[in-house]
Amino acid sequence: MSGATGTGTPRVARLALTAVVWAPPGLFILLPLLMFLGQSFLRVQGTEVVYEPTLQNYIRFFTDPAFLPTFSSSVLLAIEVAAIAVLVAYPIAYLLAGLEGRAKYVMVFVFVIPLLMSYIIKIYAIRSLIGGNGFVNRILLFLGIIDTPWTFFSLNRNAVLLTLTLLLIPYAILPIFVALEKVPRNLLEASGDLGASSWQTFRAIILPLTLQGVVIGASFTFVLALGDFVTPQMVGGIEGFTFGRIIYSQFGYGNNWPFGAALSVILLAVVLVAIVVADRLGRSRFTT
Amino acid sequence: MMRVAVPIRMALWTVAGAVLVLLYGPLAVAMFFSFFKLRSNQVQWDSFSFEAYGKLPANENVIDALGNTLLVGSAAVAAALVLGTLLAFYYHGGRSRTREWLQLVIFLPFLMPPILTGLALLIFFRQIDFPRSLVTVVIGHTVFVLALVYRNVLARLQTLSRSLVEASLDLGASRWQTFRHVLLPNLATALLAAAILAFALSFDETLITLLVTGTKNTLPLWLWSMMRLGFTQDINALVTLILVATTALCLVAARYLTIPQAR
Repeated sequence: MSGATGTGTPRVARLALTAVVWAPPGLFILLPLLMFLGQSFLRVQGTEVVYEPTLQNYIRFFTDPAFLPTFSSSVLLAIEVAAIAVLVAYPIAYLLAGLEGRAKYVMVFVFVIPLLMSYIIKIYAIRSLIGGNGFVNRILLFLGIIDTPWTFFSLNRNAVLLTLTLLLIPYAILPIFVALEKVPRNLLEASGDLGASSWQTFRAIILPLTLQGVVIGASFTFVLALGDFVTPQMVGGIEGFTFGRIIYSQFGYGNNWPFGAALSVILLAVVLVAIVVADRLGRSRFTT
Repeated sequence: MMRVAVPIRMALWTVAGAVLVLLYGPLAVAMFFSFFKLRSNQVQWDSFSFEAYGKLPANENVIDALGNTLLVGSAAVAAALVLGTLLAFYYHGGRSRTREWLQLVIFLPFLMPPILTGLALLIFFRQIDFPRSLVTVVIGHTVFVLALVYRNVLARLQTLSRSLVEASLDLGASRWQTFRHVLLPNLATALLAAAILAFALSFDETLITLLVTGTKNTLPLWLWSMMRLGFTQDINALVTLILVATTALCLVAARYLTIPQAR
């Protein structure tokens, strides 16, 4: 099977094989994306989609004051999530990489498995802990530490920031851990033998060599934070209105699919920029 | 890894510990309240029981949603295994620009935020007049987990020596026999690990499902609809069962995933 494209295979058979392997991804990934791109250049009249190309959705996004501020605050929020996640994940990944044998894999597992635990349940559980009427507040009130419920994390932007960061931290730990595992041990020994302090070794060798992992972790968390619409809806209240929620609402009660598609194309553009930037940053400067 | 001074190490472990508490704390609270009742903000310590678990089988919504979730998961995993293996073999079969492009397309649903994958499919299904149902959910999940299966199979294929296939062909085996008796046994653990992880992802998939589903609920969607009302003890019990099952499954998957590293 792995030799199916060898020199002896007739041209027709090779073309047929190419067609067969392209069909499912082409039909269910590429074609939907193209249709979705196309939809963003249409408009609705009443409840019907009008099939005439127009730029009005994009013009509306850039000119209507309702959208740009939400968009930029959502991008900022996703950047904050990515930054905090990476800052917290790095020391954890560092500790994990320093463990030996079985303990290492058990601990990696402990930190990564929450990724596969029910997403909705995690959001709900976090909300029930930090909300105005949550357990943390009840305990603090009960112990007499505070008199009125602490509202720093209830149904606002902070709650979205905290919840998204918690949900996404494992995505940051994993690539940083993998990068740390790849740092050649003899480089560290050489550095120590040559009299570098551990901070100098970290700064000059480990950090540059693991930057790619940091960048991958950051871009993953950024992309997922920006695209989420369930978390902000559950813990964000009115203040935590994000771009993802605006997009989702266009397909629900807003019922303007072409406009929703255009907003999503803008989201896609940001995601692509993030991936390209991450790719450049991670690749060009530090790997030889 | 390099040694760090004790005070710094202590500080790092404190951070790690705090994150663990934050990651698992909320889940522990849900589990706790599957056994204990809460009355006027007071935990009833004497109320420990498995009562909520006993009530679950009688809850039609739960059984229904669970059935749908298992059905969708199995179908999507089966489709992704076949397709992912085929694509991995194709990619592994040679070098060309078409192959690189195809690989990029496969990875797209994994790289993009799920909302984009979901919306693209939603628009696609409406354009071709395909009604939303569990079938569309299966397609969405297959597309989502395909990259995972593909990547796992390809990684394993790349570690296998070419001489294995050559020896088999030299000894007179047909291509199919070589695939069936030489390659497939070598891929088995990679396929199993990929299948389990893909199933776990499908089991919990929420964002794509929300966009492409018809009137039927999967478990995450049902939980989401319940969340607005607040969770009852039954839901906490269900949650506990799901968490235990997921953890057990992932432990099995992790066993098979680490085998290539151990060699």
